[in-house]
Parts: sequence; C-alpha cells; structure tokens
Amino acid sequence: MVDSDVRDRIRAYAGARAYSVATTERWLRLASRDGDALLQLALELRLGENQLRDLWDWAEEIAGRDRLTLRDVLVAQPVAAARARALGRNDKLTAIKSALRRLRFPQLAAVEDRLGVVIGSLQLPRQVRIVLPVHLEGDQVRIEITVTNANAWRAAAAALLAAADSPACSELFALLGEAP
Amino acid sequence: MRVTGDSMRLERTQPWVPDALWIERGEEDSTLAQRLRARLPETPVHVTDDLSTVEPKADLTAGKRRLLVQRHRGTFLQHCPAGTTGMVCCNYLVMNFGSNCPFDCSYCFLQAYLANNPALKVFTNVADGLAEIDGVLRAHPERTFRIGTGELADSLALDHLTDLSCELVPFFAARPNALLELKTKSDRIDNLLRLDPQDRVVVSWSVNAPAIVAAEEPATASLQARVVAAARVQAAGYKVGLHFDPLIAHDGWEEGYRDVVTMIFSQLDTRRIAWVSLGSLRMTPQLKTAIKTRPQPAAVLTSELVPGPDGKQRVWRGLRVKMYRRMLEWLRGVDAAMPLYICMEPAGVWEKVFGEALTDREVAHRLVSAQA
Repeated sequence: MVDSDVRDRIRAYAGARAYSVATTERWLRLASRDGDALLQLALELRLGENQLRDLWDWAEEIAGRDRLTLRDVLVAQPVAAARARALGRNDKLTAIKSALRRLRFPQLAAVEDRLGVVIGSLQLPRQVRIVLPVHLEGDQVRIEITVTNANAWRAAAAALLAAADSPACSELFALLGEAP
Repeated sequence: MRVTGDSMRLERTQPWVPDALWIERGEEDSTLAQRLRARLPETPVHVTDDLSTVEPKADLTAGKRRLLVQRHRGTFLQHCPAGTTGMVCCNYLVMNFGSNCPFDCSYCFLQAYLANNPALKVFTNVADGLAEIDGVLRAHPERTFRIGTGELADSLALDHLTDLSCELVPFFAARPNALLELKTKSDRIDNLLRLDPQDRVVVSWSVNAPAIVAAEEPATASLQARVVAAARVQAAGYKVGLHFDPLIAHDGWEEGYRDVVTMIFSQLDTRRIAWVSLGSLRMTPQLKTAIKTRPQPAAVLTSELVPGPDGKQRVWRGLRVKMYRRMLEWLRGVDAAMPLYICMEPAGVWEKVFGEALTDREVAHRLVSAQA
C-alpha cells in the first residue's frame, strides 16, 4: 500500500486525467516505491489511463517472471535508456513501450530481430517493403511494391525474383513457421 | 516463467465435500438430493425457493465451497464452446449435468466463463438430459457423436457423491452411434470399475508437465495418481483419452513434457488410447483479469502470450508450433498409430504440425473411425 504522500499525488494525477476508480484503486494498492515509480513514468509521459495500463501490465508481468519489483523493471537499463533519450513525448512513449516489449517477449523479440537481419540481406530495393504478421501470429508475408514507372516495376520484380531463390528467403519462412 | 515442484505423489486425493448443500425447493425428494443428503450427513442442508440468492456472485472460491442442487432448465446438449470461427474444430458436443469444478487450476477458463454463475451446481433431472440426447442420437443414426461432460465441470470429481457415471455409462454402452467422454483431473474411478462400457466410453485425463501440475493445479490428483487411475480403467475395459492442454511454455518445458510422455506411456497400453489432444494455453482478456485477482497470480501469465485473430492470447505461433511438433515427435515415437488432434488452432497451424489441414468434419471422422 502506498504511503500517504504518494497516495495523494497518485489521486491528484489520476483524478486530473479522469482515470477509472478500478485503475486508481489498483495503483494505490501497490507498494510505495512501485506506486511512486509508476507515477514518475506517468508524469514524465503524461500518460492516459490506457497507455499507463499497457506499460504497467507488461512491467508487472516482467516483474513476476523475473522476481523483481515493478520499480526495478521501470528503471532497468533498457527502459531507463529509452526514458533518457532526447525525444518528443510520443516518440519516447514508443521507445519505452518497445524496450518493455523486448523484455516481456524476449524469444519473440529475438526472432523479430533475426527476421530484420534476414529481410535486410534480401537486398530489395527501397520500393519493396516486406510486412510481417503482427506478433508473428501467422506465416503470411505481405510484399508491398510502390513504383511510379515501368522500369522501377521491372526492377522491383527482378529483385524479388532473385530474393525468392536466396537462402535468406528460405530462412525467413522457416523462422515464421517455427521458433528456432 | 519458473515453476518447481513434484506432482508424482501417488496417494489418492481426498474426496471433495462441500461446506453446505443448497437444494432448490421442489427437488428435495429427487434421487440426487436424497443421495447427497445420505452421503453428506455432517453437511448443513438448506432448502430455498431461489438459489440465485445464495450464489456468491463474482467469488469463484466461495462458489467452489457450496453445492447447489437444482433442476436444469434449458438444453443439456450443446456444441463445445471451443468451436470458434477460423479454428479447426473436432465437432465435439458437450452435455452439462452440472457446472463448475472443485479444483482450482490457475489457468481455468471457468474463472471467466462462470464469473456470474460461480456456484458448484449439480442437476437433478439427469433423465431429461438423457432423453434429449437419445432423441438426437435416434434422429441421426448415420452419424456417430462424441459427447463429453467435462467442459463446464470435471466429469468425475463429484462422482463419489452423485453416482452420475452410473447413469451415463450404461446409457452410452447401449447406444451404437455415440461415444461418451468423461474428462477429469481426479482419480475418482471407483464407480467406473463396476460398470461395463461396451467400448462406448472414453475416460480422459488432462495432463501436464509435473512442474505445472504442482504449481498451477491445486487440489487435483497428482500426475501419478491420474496415470494409475487411467491404467485401472483401461484394465476394466475403457479406452483412455489424454489431453495435453494447456501446454504451457515454462522454463524446462521440453524436458517436462518429454518426461511426462515417457512416464505416462510406460504405464498405459497405447492400443487402448482413444485419442490424444494438444492445446496451447488460451487467454481471454476476462480470464487474464480473473487470474490477476487470485491471491497468488499464476505464473502462466508470464508466458509470451500475444493476441490472435480470435481475440484470445496464446504464446506466439512459432513457439506454439515448436511445442506441438515436439509433442508430436515424442507421441509418435511411443506409438505412431495413436489418434492425435490439436484444439483451437487455425488450419495453418495444423498444416505446420501435421503436414495437412483437415476440415472439422475430417477431424471428427478420424477420431470416431479410430475407435471402430
């Protein structure tokens, strides 16, 4: 349970942002240091209720898995590094969310990283974009080609054809099919 | 996720006994109510006009401590709730002669599914349910139905009190176009051993890695006790089903699941296995919320669960496929002929795991024809 000073500041913040009673009460039930750490994050990013809850849920699940406190997670190196970056509010929120996601889904993130490298090695022109399924929940790859003339179209098609025969292409589908 | 523990103890579980018995007025003289009163002489009994007033709304733990005895109004036979658009389904039917379960598995979907009806209930008008099923079976003699009682309740956990199996087994033993599946995490098989199933009854156990059983399935029979019970019903003429569901991606899952496959099939006759199912942990937002309110939130929440097209969270697909394929490899290594299926997965996952994507009808047909 948070102590009275932190409690007042949480209530003030949650009240000003029209947080639901359920979320506020859940917040107030945290240990003081955890509640305060969450408040610092909320103040830093001017978080709305849904934004806070998304970050909080992941941080809580990481803490449960790694036997840490919520505060430990929110000040852990990758999250702290994202918080320290000189970015605008929205970009910083994205960076922090990304850092937390990597901690929350380490195996998935590792496969996504490898897929990024593999897609890079396909050496496709800028006009071709490979779109992977969200959270890799599927094995379908979407290929987007954006061109303004026939030559660019031809070049994109030739590059795609060459890439289809490469080992990287095989690895891409193998990674989407089953975790290594 | 880290889980530790040992669920290999053999001693039988204590039979579940409620703190109180609540009987709907008008059902006091039903066979079931009389049987329960006789078998629970120390348990306080209340008769009431409106059972809804004694149901501890939104409190599943309290709900598991009292037994409500009532007449069921509505249909008994339903499609399995796991059937979902976009997922391959085994065309299973469920019949509900009760609702909720005395066990307390951390991942149980009933925590969300029965959130508004959390009391443990048994229904007095079993004969009505059997008449309904009989009508369906007679209307479709060309079809063989797989029907289970273990979706909204454990099929055997209360059998020492209700003797429900003594009505169901003879009923299905006499019907050529249906297979009854009794699904349980208990070891309450005493009634079954006295009955003749005529090859129309499958007794199934939900099983898991020992670490998961120990950490996430409080009050259930130990893994070893389940397997011993399975061996005994096999010897008594029943086929046995196994449900590795939910598979949970925990530290050491490969060793855990490989070892449990080895352990189970060192004690069971694979020729008397009706089917084996695999299923990944499925988590609705409501279930996740319910799990978080448990006194000790379950470690299952720390798996790498991501949302799928049906709104449920599962471990991401590549990891699920890996788990299914490992299980398939180990199970096929034991006996390549055992019928296997996976629950609530899209055709694409079936194709990755089995090398073919079957329709619902094909899955159902294979499971039925394997019993011939």
